[in-house]
Amino acid sequence: MSTPASNYTPRRANWMSTNGKTSDGLDLDPESFDEGFGFDEIEEIAWDDHPLTQSAPLVETVDPKNVSVVVDAASKTYRIRSGNEHLKSTKRLSKQVQRVLGSGWSEVHALDELSFVVNRGETVGVIGTNGSGKSTLMKLLTGKIRPSTGEVYATSTPIMLGVNAALVKQISGRENIRLGCLAMGLSPKQAEQKFDMIVEISGLKDALDMPLKAYSSGMASRLQFAIATSVDPDILLIDEALNTGDAQFRARTKKRLDEVRSQAGCVFLVSHSLGTIKQMCTRVIWIEQGRMLADGDPEWVCSQYQEYTDHKSNGRMRSAQIVYDRTLLKLSPLQIEFADGTRPTKAG
Amino acid sequence: MAAPAAERHAPSFQLGPQRVIQMDGSTLVRVGARPSLLQYVRDIWTFRHFLRYDAHARTSSQNNLDSMGRVWMVLNPILQAAVYFFIFGYILETHRDVVNFIGYLIIGVLTFRFISGAVTSGSNSIANNQQVVQAFNFPRACLPISATVRELFATVPTFFVMAVLVYFIGDYQVGDMERAEIVFNWKWLMFFPAIFLALLVMTGFSLILARLVSNFNDVKHIITIGTRLWFYASAVIFSVERFADVGHDWIITVMYFNPAFCVLDIIRDAWLYDGLGDPFRWIVLASWGVGSLVIGLIIFWRGEETYGRER
Repeated sequence: MSTPASNYTPRRANWMSTNGKTSDGLDLDPESFDEGFGFDEIEEIAWDDHPLTQSAPLVETVDPKNVSVVVDAASKTYRIRSGNEHLKSTKRLSKQVQRVLGSGWSEVHALDELSFVVNRGETVGVIGTNGSGKSTLMKLLTGKIRPSTGEVYATSTPIMLGVNAALVKQISGRENIRLGCLAMGLSPKQAEQKFDMIVEISGLKDALDMPLKAYSSGMASRLQFAIATSVDPDILLIDEALNTGDAQFRARTKKRLDEVRSQAGCVFLVSHSLGTIKQMCTRVIWIEQGRMLADGDPEWVCSQYQEYTDHKSNGRMRSAQIVYDRTLLKLSPLQIEFADGTRPTKAG
Repeated sequence: MAAPAAERHAPSFQLGPQRVIQMDGSTLVRVGARPSLLQYVRDIWTFRHFLRYDAHARTSSQNNLDSMGRVWMVLNPILQAAVYFFIFGYILETHRDVVNFIGYLIIGVLTFRFISGAVTSGSNSIANNQQVVQAFNFPRACLPISATVRELFATVPTFFVMAVLVYFIGDYQVGDMERAEIVFNWKWLMFFPAIFLALLVMTGFSLILARLVSNFNDVKHIITIGTRLWFYASAVIFSVERFADVGHDWIITVMYFNPAFCVLDIIRDAWLYDGLGDPFRWIVLASWGVGSLVIGLIIFWRGEETYGRER
């Protein structure tokens, strides 16, 4: 990942600069055809004149030691059971059958194919409006669901920090903390050690022995977050919903979050707050309508996103569309090639 | 497995330079991939504390909505036995050919309740716990196994009640029932290996059914019918010999190879008739236990990556 997409440089220059380095038999280099073919007589056409048709791919070789996460053309289409699906069905017979059964499948395209490589030490912000596919991307990254096409690879399984850690409603907060710790693979001893820290972060000392159904939703999400932070993952995903809670809780979480983040090798941060993103991230991915629009410098991507949302919220749909298209045009489509036989298949 | 990225086309309308990244993928792993079977079993072992705690926590909170709380764990089996006794023993008189019919009925009803309960809750464990499945990374087989173990924890009071009832009123006679002396000795311990083997059978069944229910929710309805059928094929409330009278010999063969019947028969033999259980029953039960556990684990493991999806 040597060139962020924002630093758009003319293709010719790129092509020349990589030419010397990767002359390992790539047939894109006219110089290599020269011997005996009389190519000297042929007038060389500058690539710049035909930017759309003549794009030569930019080949980079990356050091596998630096790589943390590779998303290789992953897409996701959900198939959901739905009772009203017959309304959309076009075939008459199947429409009737589905109407009688009251059951059918509906397909939801959540994410188009997208690829990116994240290196160790990077903090990647993920932005996008509601329903754009951010959460789906996070689920793909943690391996909760499998992409419909493509794959996600990583050095270790990424851990999601969010308020979605599951809780069992009938049992008490204390038991939920232990259960959550054990479900994350901690031993009973470790769970015992983390217990005080979790209680402190959640600030629920007085409510520990109540069953969870007596908790307010804020208390429950505080508990969930506190449980989730008890691990120190190498690849960390942080969900935006952490911004909930009162000021006191937020101060506590920020401290713990900074601790966890400093230990992690690579961090993904999903947020709607552009301030947070610009402050923390070294790189931003913008996902819109299930498609990756931009991947690069936080300042630039955030400014495009800001412009887009401004147009959208003021009802200027065409202007928004223009920003969308313009941003998309600058995106470098990425293709990932693994050296022979090293495409990972096994589990960690 | 999806086709490699190189074979797919990139959108044609983009202006940014096409980039190709070449790398050596040997340090990476595929996220969410299922481990090898051996590794999987090892993972389950690492999560044994989770499994035990999950089973324990949910058992102890099972009845906390009722004002009588855990008393129901004892009261429920007694009432159930009473109902079956009233209908089948007293009104329909199914007690022909059965010695110590009351004990026979109590053991049958209460043990079978445990067996069917474990299979039902185990088979729904994935579908009903989507929250947990999506939030944490653990071998999914923990859930069906923990559901079965939970059922065992919840049934311990029932078994106590069962032992007490059988010892005190198991040989009580109503009308023309036959009676044999009930002896309380070391042979009663045969109960434990029998229940252990039954637990293996049910874990195997739960694993298979949990995958089915997770893929096709419709299977739930069939399981309800299936356990009903299983109930009647296990000689819970009448003796096997009743089928011999009417000439349906094949049903007897089916019953002899039915693991639930084997469990009931062994426990009855040990508790009511001072025996150790027919060796043939032990063999059938043990092979069901080992066989279904191994097959269930393999079937469940092969679907490991499908359990987290939305439905």
